[in-house]
Amino acid sequence: MTWYSGEGGLSGLVRTVGRITNDVTRVRRAWHWDTPRPHTWPEQGAVVPAPASDLGWARQEPVRSIRYLIQRGLLLPFTEAMAHPRVEGREWVRELERPVIFAANHSSHADTSLILHALTDRARDRTVVAAAADYWFKRPLLGNIVSLFLNTFPFSRTGGAQAQLHSSSQLLKSGWNLVLFPEGSRSPDGRIHEFKPGVGHLARETGTPVVPMHIRGGYQIMPKGQKLPLPGPVRVRIGKPMSLEPKEGSREFTVRVEKAVRALAKEPRQPEIQGSWIERWNASKPRVLRYED
Amino acid sequence: MPRPGAVIEVDRNTPPVLFHFGEGVRLEKLPLGARIVYPPDPLEPIAHPERAIKRALAKPLEDDPLKSLLRRGMKLTIAFDDLSLPLPPMAAPDVRQLVMEEVIDMAAEAGVEDIHLIAALGLHRRMTEDEIRHIVGERIFSTFWPDRLYQHDGEDPELNVYVGKTAEGEEVTLHRRAAESDLVVYVNLTLVPMDGGHKSMSTGLASYRGIRAHHNAKTLLASRSYMNPPDSALHHSCIRQGQLIEDTVRVFHIETTVNNHAFPAIANFMQKRETDWSARDQAMFLAMKQMTDLAPPAFKRSVFHAMRAPYGMTSVQAGQVDAVHDKTMEAVRNQLSVRVEGQTDIVTMGVPYLGPYNVNSPMNPILVICMGVGYMFNFYRNKPVLRKGGVLILTHPCRCEFDAVQHPSYIDYYDEVLSDTRDPIEIEKKYEQRFAEDPWFRQLYRKSHAYHGIHPHYAWIWAAHGIDHAGDIIIVGGDREVVHHLGFKAATTLEDAFEMAEQTVGRYPSVTHMRMPPIMLADVE
Repeated sequence: MTWYSGEGGLSGLVRTVGRITNDVTRVRRAWHWDTPRPHTWPEQGAVVPAPASDLGWARQEPVRSIRYLIQRGLLLPFTEAMAHPRVEGREWVRELERPVIFAANHSSHADTSLILHALTDRARDRTVVAAAADYWFKRPLLGNIVSLFLNTFPFSRTGGAQAQLHSSSQLLKSGWNLVLFPEGSRSPDGRIHEFKPGVGHLARETGTPVVPMHIRGGYQIMPKGQKLPLPGPVRVRIGKPMSLEPKEGSREFTVRVEKAVRALAKEPRQPEIQGSWIERWNASKPRVLRYED
Repeated sequence: MPRPGAVIEVDRNTPPVLFHFGEGVRLEKLPLGARIVYPPDPLEPIAHPERAIKRALAKPLEDDPLKSLLRRGMKLTIAFDDLSLPLPPMAAPDVRQLVMEEVIDMAAEAGVEDIHLIAALGLHRRMTEDEIRHIVGERIFSTFWPDRLYQHDGEDPELNVYVGKTAEGEEVTLHRRAAESDLVVYVNLTLVPMDGGHKSMSTGLASYRGIRAHHNAKTLLASRSYMNPPDSALHHSCIRQGQLIEDTVRVFHIETTVNNHAFPAIANFMQKRETDWSARDQAMFLAMKQMTDLAPPAFKRSVFHAMRAPYGMTSVQAGQVDAVHDKTMEAVRNQLSVRVEGQTDIVTMGVPYLGPYNVNSPMNPILVICMGVGYMFNFYRNKPVLRKGGVLILTHPCRCEFDAVQHPSYIDYYDEVLSDTRDPIEIEKKYEQRFAEDPWFRQLYRKSHAYHGIHPHYAWIWAAHGIDHAGDIIIVGGDREVVHHLGFKAATTLEDAFEMAEQTVGRYPSVTHMRMPPIMLADVE
């Protein structure tokens, strides 16, 4: 009988509290909470490490619905108010038939919100963000909150290609789009730095197209080292999806993606990266709804 | 079957009639025997506009199908009307968007790489990105803005080319891109008979040098009225210019018309005759009246300017400009014409919150006159509803408020020019060049969202014929100082205005109230 069943009354409640106190006391004594740890016991940690969480909970319902509300009610209006982003090339991400990797330059913590803001609701709902495991997930609470807001997952910057590939490719294969900042870290000066080969590896291993993106103005909003964002205009330019050529290596492909992101920074439009108007027009064709008889 | 327009005689059972009063409304009792002219009910819109557009493009009037005119490697320009019409702005999707999407679909299919879209705004203000997006739709905007979708600049010496002179000596200029294109597709929306036809290209894509040929006091005074193109010197001039343009560049015209369903559900009572008002309409009227009486002007403005009209497309035709425009005029007249017997001593009209030149801004005093004495007075065929020397009574608060962003030159025109003289011919002689060539106004027109420096003069001369025709003009509810500055009389109530009018037209005058908007065209016999 539980204390809240209404059957035990006050004495039942006292009994339950007593039982819990006993249990806690037993554990406290047994594991020496307030006395020195026995020297015969092995050193703490490094014995059976907990498996790294990929924060799967953040990609399940009802968390997805909660995140939708948070993003719609808080994150996107805030981004709109702070940056009033002008998005070019949204047609390339309007009707994504298969998962893609969004590869963008990275100069600010605001970049992720700006990218999510540039996506359509449909695409945003199916997008995870690769966040540096050694930065965002050092403190689990912070990592979990960021995951709830942005649907991030820990991306190892130090574990080599295989470690990167494993969780990311699983996500891509299960239908998630992936936001990746191939520079590896925020640019200290706002300029685009060399891309690390991970994006090419991932695209090669999973056969996923890469959508190059360029964010102009993110650095002015919140450069590295600044704690609070400042308002400023931003332009997000989205290029047409790029796929590996038949005999292209992952490193060559990474270089091509980097060139595409750099080209997107240029004025005027770059038809070979952003697509000709006919390609963009056809890409933005509304879906024809078909009803079964 | 929608009801045609009607002329109702006021008797003891006639309810008070609605008068627009800027960003507000009033109910007024008219004298027994007065006439109220009501516009026709909105015509049934076309059920499938996209299909109608496809059909019009495939079977144009006196021209080849658009598809056969498009080919790879050509230079294609699509020009379209700006936000000065329809009024209020149309609820999305705008018919121009629907037409342009069809045209662009065809161009994409034909592989036309070189395509530009130009907002043909003549000397009107540049639109904001959101306003353009509203007209063209998100798909066109995101594909073409800003490098292939942009706005005409009538003051850029590089962008405007001189085409030549008409037989009457009118200079013709055109946007360079349009002049150098293999094909120009003009997408028009005709709300009133003044719009469309040759006027689209000859005004929308012209510079001041070309527009001044017909936007002048002499031409406007000779236009009886400019809402009836056959009797309009303005249109004759535009036709001459347009013909020269057609000789220079291949133009494919697409014109659309909409019905006069100008008010959304929330303001449906404005659309109806007072005798048709349901309990809901009466409640909505009372609510709006209280809101507009109590709320500050800025709040009222934001509410009114947020209204989008549920216009429905009533016709679409494409092909050769004259053939197309004839059909357009027929469709417009079907919707707007009301037969009115004989002229009258006094005409009353309520001036609404919105005219073609104050979308998203207050209606300044010059625009009140442009709207009331210019546009609304001119909604006639054959002869004006008001007899020569009669009294025109308008209702509008006529406050001295100007939008410094959209109407900077209006402020100077009101303060300096109208303090000196109100005679259009004299103003033209003394001030036209100064306002047209003022470098600061030019800069604001080109880079900000301001009307061209000469625009207040055009707004003023738009009323020249009305001012010349009327014996007296009284503005009910108008700010006394402002109304006197404009050269008219102010009255506090409509009864006072009738009293004052008797001094001009004598005792027991005949009175006609033009109950618009929704707009109508009085066919006076």
